[in-house]
Amino acid sequence: MPSSEKNVELDELAELERGEAPSGRAAAPDVPEEELEVPEDALGTARRLWDAARGQRWRLVVAAACSVLYVAGSLGATAYSAGLIDLLWNNIQSTFETGAPFVVTLENGALQILTFLGIWTASWAAYTAQVLVMASFAERLNLGLRRRIGEKLSRLPLAYYDAHQPGDTISRATNDLDKVSEVLQRGLLQLLIAVCMVGGAVILMATYDLMLTGVFVVFGIMASVATKLVTARTLKLAAARQAALGDLTGRVEEAYSGRAVIKAFGREDASLAEVAEAAERLAETSGDADFVTNAIAPAIRLLMRLCQVTIGLLAGGMLVMGQISVGVFQAFFQYVMQASEPFTQLALTVNMLQGALAAAERVFAFLDEDEVVPDPAAPAELPEAVEGRVAFEHVRFGYAPDRPLMRDVSLVAEPGQKVAIVGATGAGKTTLINLLMRFYEVDGGRITLDGVDTRDLTRAELRRQFGMVLQDAWLFEGTIAENIAYGKPGASREEVEAAARAAHVDFFVRTLPHGYDTMLSNDAENISQGQRQLLTIARAMLTDPAILILDEATSSVDTRTEQAIVRAMEAIMENRTSFVIAHRLSTIVDADLILVMEKGTIIEQGTHAELLAAGGAYAELYRSQFA
Amino acid sequence: MSKRQKGRDYSKRTSARLLLSLVSPYKGLLAAIFAAAICDMTGMLFIPTQLSAMVNVAVNTRDMSALMGHGVAMLIAALVGSGGYLTTVFLASRLCAKVGRDLRTRVYDASLAFSGSDFNAFGTGSMITRTLSDANVVQQTLLMSILMIFPVPLACVIAVALAFSTDAVMGWVLLAVTLVVIGICALAVAKSAPIFTRLQGFIDNMNTRLRESITGVRVIRAFGKEARERGRLGETFEDFATNAIRVNFVFALTDSITFFLMNAVEAAIMWVGADRVGAHAMQIGSISALVEYAMLIMMFLMMAQFAILQVPRALACLTRAAEVLSREPEIEDDDAPARLAAAAGEGAGGDEVARFDHASLRFSDADEDTLHDISFTLRRGQTTAIIGNTGSGKSTVAKLLLRFNDVTGGSLAFEGADVRRLSQDELRRRIAYVPQKAWLFSGTVAENLRHGDAGATNERLWHALDVAQAGFVRELPEGLGTRVAQGGTNFSGGQRQRLAIARALVRKADLYVFDDSFSALDYKTDAALRRALAGELAGAATLIIAQRVSTIHDADQIVVLKDGEVVGLGTHDELMAGCPTYRAIAESQSRGEDAHA
Repeated sequence: MPSSEKNVELDELAELERGEAPSGRAAAPDVPEEELEVPEDALGTARRLWDAARGQRWRLVVAAACSVLYVAGSLGATAYSAGLIDLLWNNIQSTFETGAPFVVTLENGALQILTFLGIWTASWAAYTAQVLVMASFAERLNLGLRRRIGEKLSRLPLAYYDAHQPGDTISRATNDLDKVSEVLQRGLLQLLIAVCMVGGAVILMATYDLMLTGVFVVFGIMASVATKLVTARTLKLAAARQAALGDLTGRVEEAYSGRAVIKAFGREDASLAEVAEAAERLAETSGDADFVTNAIAPAIRLLMRLCQVTIGLLAGGMLVMGQISVGVFQAFFQYVMQASEPFTQLALTVNMLQGALAAAERVFAFLDEDEVVPDPAAPAELPEAVEGRVAFEHVRFGYAPDRPLMRDVSLVAEPGQKVAIVGATGAGKTTLINLLMRFYEVDGGRITLDGVDTRDLTRAELRRQFGMVLQDAWLFEGTIAENIAYGKPGASREEVEAAARAAHVDFFVRTLPHGYDTMLSNDAENISQGQRQLLTIARAMLTDPAILILDEATSSVDTRTEQAIVRAMEAIMENRTSFVIAHRLSTIVDADLILVMEKGTIIEQGTHAELLAAGGAYAELYRSQFA
Repeated sequence: MSKRQKGRDYSKRTSARLLLSLVSPYKGLLAAIFAAAICDMTGMLFIPTQLSAMVNVAVNTRDMSALMGHGVAMLIAALVGSGGYLTTVFLASRLCAKVGRDLRTRVYDASLAFSGSDFNAFGTGSMITRTLSDANVVQQTLLMSILMIFPVPLACVIAVALAFSTDAVMGWVLLAVTLVVIGICALAVAKSAPIFTRLQGFIDNMNTRLRESITGVRVIRAFGKEARERGRLGETFEDFATNAIRVNFVFALTDSITFFLMNAVEAAIMWVGADRVGAHAMQIGSISALVEYAMLIMMFLMMAQFAILQVPRALACLTRAAEVLSREPEIEDDDAPARLAAAAGEGAGGDEVARFDHASLRFSDADEDTLHDISFTLRRGQTTAIIGNTGSGKSTVAKLLLRFNDVTGGSLAFEGADVRRLSQDELRRRIAYVPQKAWLFSGTVAENLRHGDAGATNERLWHALDVAQAGFVRELPEGLGTRVAQGGTNFSGGQRQRLAIARALVRKADLYVFDDSFSALDYKTDAALRRALAGELAGAATLIIAQRVSTIHDADQIVVLKDGEVVGLGTHDELMAGCPTYRAIAESQSRGEDAHA
């Protein structure tokens, strides 16, 4: 059966096909992700990150040392402040006994206040050094990893691309690495600081009073347990929100894609009601999820405040009894406060760290993917003028090694011949192209170009001989002229226009406000699928290759335009080999060789007349189209 | 430049106005949040107050019960404070969820009134973003603002007031400190906001280029452009890193400056505080309370600064939503639309159903007419066919009939009335339409078919399916109740097409429009369908937009379009004789058929 996607013309529905693309995008980055992910090999991943940080490691070492200094300084300043307050209070009291008012002077406290400021300043200097040193650490590390991803992309076999959603790969290079940098930027040192701060504060508290310290530790443990519990709940609610969002997204995408139908059948109100209902469900779930997510911190803070009240009452009693001094009372409290904040962060930071390691693991897994076989060290060379004789010799191939599709395929395309490939959708017509272009490697036998085994050539040399127009009209963000000149960057404007004229797209381009300088963007909805296809045809024409591949290229163009294009192609391709995949048998009856494919292999080959006479699959297919 | 500046100001105003209108229905919730936030701040600031009171009691009167009193007050302050905050979070989450919901629904509602051109001015991808993720950004930023920005002025006012109540001099000190810190934070935000916005652009770039190099991998390799793509990617990665590092430095510097201020302020408060205690103006315990107020103010301002940086992005999202909401739909119903006399399918207007009279259509952004000076008439009982190349404007004719677009020259009458005078609903109820791309909605087969007529009986549905050659539904185990996936993707292209035809046939209409609806069918089904339709649609006008000459060559009249103009009008035989364009189309398609014949 002919493709249902055929004959889509300048129509809003055609544009909707491209509009569907955003749905394939990785989880919308604006939705907070709160999955709790655990890395499989935390230690191994950490070691690889450490390797990746080569050249940056000194930053980490300096920052860690500075963090420890900072913690020591701030704990020390608090300890010093205890003596300072006591000193001031004693001086004030003794001055009061003389009846004179008290004024701070260098002799009676100012020096100590300045010393206190000095300790803090040292601590501040350490902190500042740490944040400045770390400001570029994570992003430099990420830049290195992203570059490796960029290089990896050009070394991955097509099999990888065919098996993975683009969004999946994109999110590794963006979201996953952002998670890593967020943690490396702040989380890691925060964790270090939090641990040191809590540990140091507790030890110092213990030097003042063991019982009060015990109270703090008990509350601290309660806070940790509470955080764990609430986090589990958060994940559940986040999942519910995600589900509601998915439902709403599905509905809106469906409705936007089917706009014409909704309007034609006057279903605006019904559709609005459906969307409103889904939006309501999302509002409910996201209200809950946001509440719990944002309630963790204040809940922990409440626990710590209760801790402070308890300690305040106990310590206040001790103060009244004269068991501790004013300075100690206040210093103790400062420690409680200093240690309380990190406590609320500790559990969350640990979760973040785990998530980041899991993200890094995904990035490394991507970088570990199998790569294409490298080009031969001493590649064969094609003659100056390639004739374009293509031969398959006993080719064996399967996308999965255990499921071979082609077992023993041989065929010859003589220079200048037109080879047509037909077969139902999914019969494996693009497989042939994949092998010709070496997007996939054959498992057995060989493919030759002008008698040279294509595996002995570099891929670049091989592919230079081909011009290709693919099913999905790929254009990049840039002007129309740049897109047409993609295969020949130095092409003059005249050459570009000539190619466009030959592809019957020149008139259309001229109707655009900026003509050939019109910028194409990903969601350029002013260019229909058919026009995009014509632009890719112009692009292929400009490179003037030895062999042409038309992979369902004209499926979005009507019969007559297709005829015109094929005629233009034929003129350019005179005495050059071409492979054409088409659904309309009418366009290929004059082919020199017709390959009939089924289940991934070639089941018949010959000319139109030969195949009709044979009365096989081709004859059957032909009759079904022209009943 | 100045023009751009003005545009920005304008967009700020529209987004602010939209935000106001989104929030205003929830005045009660807002008031409750305000009250809860006051409890939160007061409670939080009263803890150090009570603590210092305890110290003062301990060093002066040494009264154990007074100490307990302050302890209880502190407990209450802790509970009120945390309770207030938890309430704020609870109410704010709800409020923002509702605002997000309202924004999504409003944008979607607005989109329903759009014509095709209106909608395409934004594009499907962009409309989906505007409806969904933009609203998410607005919702999350609003929540963050309520939690992190909104309480800051409250905290400052209450803390300064508490300081003044302790001692006027200390009050002035704290006020000065607060103003200085606000100034520094404002400076930091002003400095980093543009970098932050640019960073967002670099993130988008990164996504676009990555997507390009992944989806275009075959083309890139075919043209041997791997190095170029690597270079482009490397560039965007580097741009992003450079900017991200710059943002980090600004953050680090602000962080550092604030930290230094905290230290200086603490020392200053000790010094001045000790003097004030020495002057009998306040008590020793209050020093630590004042230090704590200062620290809290700075902490809040730091947090607010982080939240404020997210605001421009949310404003941009709001502006994008406002663009959708404020767009005047190109096609709007008359206040007092004309009415059609008879009910659908009865045909009181004689045998003329629709008439194009020198009709032209030019899209507002185009230099040329998409359709130019079109004249023909659709009659009851007659089949009219339109044929032409890609881009010749065939589908646009159907769009005019349905008022997806309005003519910009000449006129189009339906049942004698100018379509622009009819309400869209009234007009469309008279037309049964089969779109080019057979789109079905998730639900059941029956639900989809009843879009044509909500009250149709099962018998009608089966009949429509039979006429549409969709007998395969009978073989499905669940029949009419079979689930349809989004877009109908669980059916083949041909099945979807026949279901879409059946959906249109369920409707009793004056005009049936088949927009290239037979292309997914094989020739045999195509022929059987046309035979069945002939009897079914005898009382109505039929318009078939087609690519295959074989589909339309029995039509009563054929309109040949070329570049938006009618270049032929007549029967197959007449056109074969007199219309070169038609003959060329027919010949281009007959090669295969001849070979077979």
